[in-house]
Amino acid sequence: MTATTDEATVGFGRRHRKEDARFLRGKGNYVDDIVLPGMLHGAVLRSPHAHARLVSIDTTAAEAHPKVKAVITGAVLETLNLAWMPSLSADVVAVLATDKVRFHGQEVAFVVAEDRYSARDALELIDVEYEPLPPVIDATRALDPDAPVIRDDIEGKTDNHIFDWEAGDAAATEAEFAAAEVVVTEDILYPRVHPAPMETCGAIADMDKVTGKLTIYCNTQAPHAHRTLYAIVAGLPEHKIRVLSPDIGGGFGNKVGIYPGYVLSVVGSIVTGKPVKWVEDRSENLMSTSFARDYHMKTSIAATRDGKIRALKVDVLADHGAFNNTAQPTKFPAGFFHIFTGSYDYPAAHCGVKGVYTNKAPGGVAYACSFRITEAVYAVERIVDCLAHELDMDPAELRMKNLLRPEQFPYRTPTGWEYDSGDYPRRCERRWSSSVTPTSAANRPTSGSAAS
Amino acid sequence: MQVTVTVNGQSYTRDIEPRMLLVHFLRDELALTGTHWGCDTSNCGVCTVLVDGLPAKSCTMLAAMAVGHEIRTVEGLERADGLDPVQQGFMTEHGLQCGFCTPGVMMTARALLDRNPHPTEDEIRRAIAGNLCRCTGYENIVRSIRWAADNASAEVTS
Repeated sequence: MTATTDEATVGFGRRHRKEDARFLRGKGNYVDDIVLPGMLHGAVLRSPHAHARLVSIDTTAAEAHPKVKAVITGAVLETLNLAWMPSLSADVVAVLATDKVRFHGQEVAFVVAEDRYSARDALELIDVEYEPLPPVIDATRALDPDAPVIRDDIEGKTDNHIFDWEAGDAAATEAEFAAAEVVVTEDILYPRVHPAPMETCGAIADMDKVTGKLTIYCNTQAPHAHRTLYAIVAGLPEHKIRVLSPDIGGGFGNKVGIYPGYVLSVVGSIVTGKPVKWVEDRSENLMSTSFARDYHMKTSIAATRDGKIRALKVDVLADHGAFNNTAQPTKFPAGFFHIFTGSYDYPAAHCGVKGVYTNKAPGGVAYACSFRITEAVYAVERIVDCLAHELDMDPAELRMKNLLRPEQFPYRTPTGWEYDSGDYPRRCERRWSSSVTPTSAANRPTSGSAAS
Repeated sequence: MQVTVTVNGQSYTRDIEPRMLLVHFLRDELALTGTHWGCDTSNCGVCTVLVDGLPAKSCTMLAAMAVGHEIRTVEGLERADGLDPVQQGFMTEHGLQCGFCTPGVMMTARALLDRNPHPTEDEIRRAIAGNLCRCTGYENIVRSIRWAADNASAEVTS
């Protein structure tokens, strides 16, 4: 930085934020700071196995703990018809496991006790017998004929397939590839990452049996979606449910999803008649809450020898974990992935996305609200770099040659998006002339298979 | 067991379990919820408090270990005449977003400036190595601490 701080601007301007006054004095109001009269504390027992049949659960000793008020298992929830809840993606999610555990860290039992230490003590008094099953960890093996079927709770399910989705014109794309002078293909993996907000997920549920009203303090980024789901699982009309989202210690999409712990705090409050607080610890947050990415993207680009792109295709294997609980607001199962055609002009493109179950934590789209755009941008820019390498061409020059030109707007992409405006060549020229040229060998990709 | 702990200059006596962590003692027994609980493993630093002026992770220290020591939390940062320069620096330089890591970072910064009133940028960055921020505010956090160092005796406002 050469500018002084008085001159430099930051993203949100120089205005003082009204919430800073309380944050700077330690007077924030995060969910774990809230204490309600008579409040009890919940803790979740989690599976140590990625895939196992639940043989038996003995809660006798935990129930005998002097400070324990309730021990809830999947069997208890089944009697209330609460063992499963709808996911945000036309699937169901186990609130507590009843038949099997399907990922390491899955919720198996919930203890409500007078204080948080006692609740955790009681978890150790629960005796669970598991019959371990072979897990599916590698998404590329999920559809093998001999792969164990993870979701045998779904009637008639004989494999780990969730969905197929496509965009673009497959025939036109194949025709371009068949006639192409150069084809480059690369297996691009965007691995699973975790948003890891500094504050973990938590909730306090307060069911008032007299008025029939449910109040939930929850550090959710999507309080309205939460209210709708709680209405469904608790059998209450939405106007009897109040969701309060206090200060949130970071979200990054991790706090959009609806996790069993929230629902269990509601069940705990219904069962005990007291407010129940549940706040997960860091390990629980990392092992069980929503991830991002986990896209295996087989990406191919077709071009002429002189560097004019003709077509792009991407076949995605999407690892959705044990339940399809993707939390994103688009109508597409792969979010906005079909933006993968990028800023370049070519006649044909096609993507196919195949979603599979694995024995991993469910979730899908979190982190920086990308809705799969991050994956899409990585795929196209990486494959353009690979093409530059194959053609022995400056990656900047190759891009300049293929960027959409201002007179082409509004522009309809081969996958159906409309770009309204832009001047990409001028923007790139400006950027590249004011920074390090991307020509250096260090920026070249080191791998990439090619055929011509 | 009964413990008497001095926090922000005030003495508190409580009956607690010997295993109670300092972070839970501060939050649950004293209702000083400015100190946060983030990882339980000394990694993230949101629970940082000062023990006799030195930063410590209160999630890996028993409340009983605080007996006989001076504990200082974010609630004890503000001065009679207004905000501590560290607090003012964070406000002026936008050193916070969600605010969850902020109390811990500010306590670490206070300890640094008490020992080293004019730290280099490298010294600032080393000092806050034990405090994670996920809103990616390290640039602004460093600027905030620099502001506090440069304005140690500035007229404070709230």
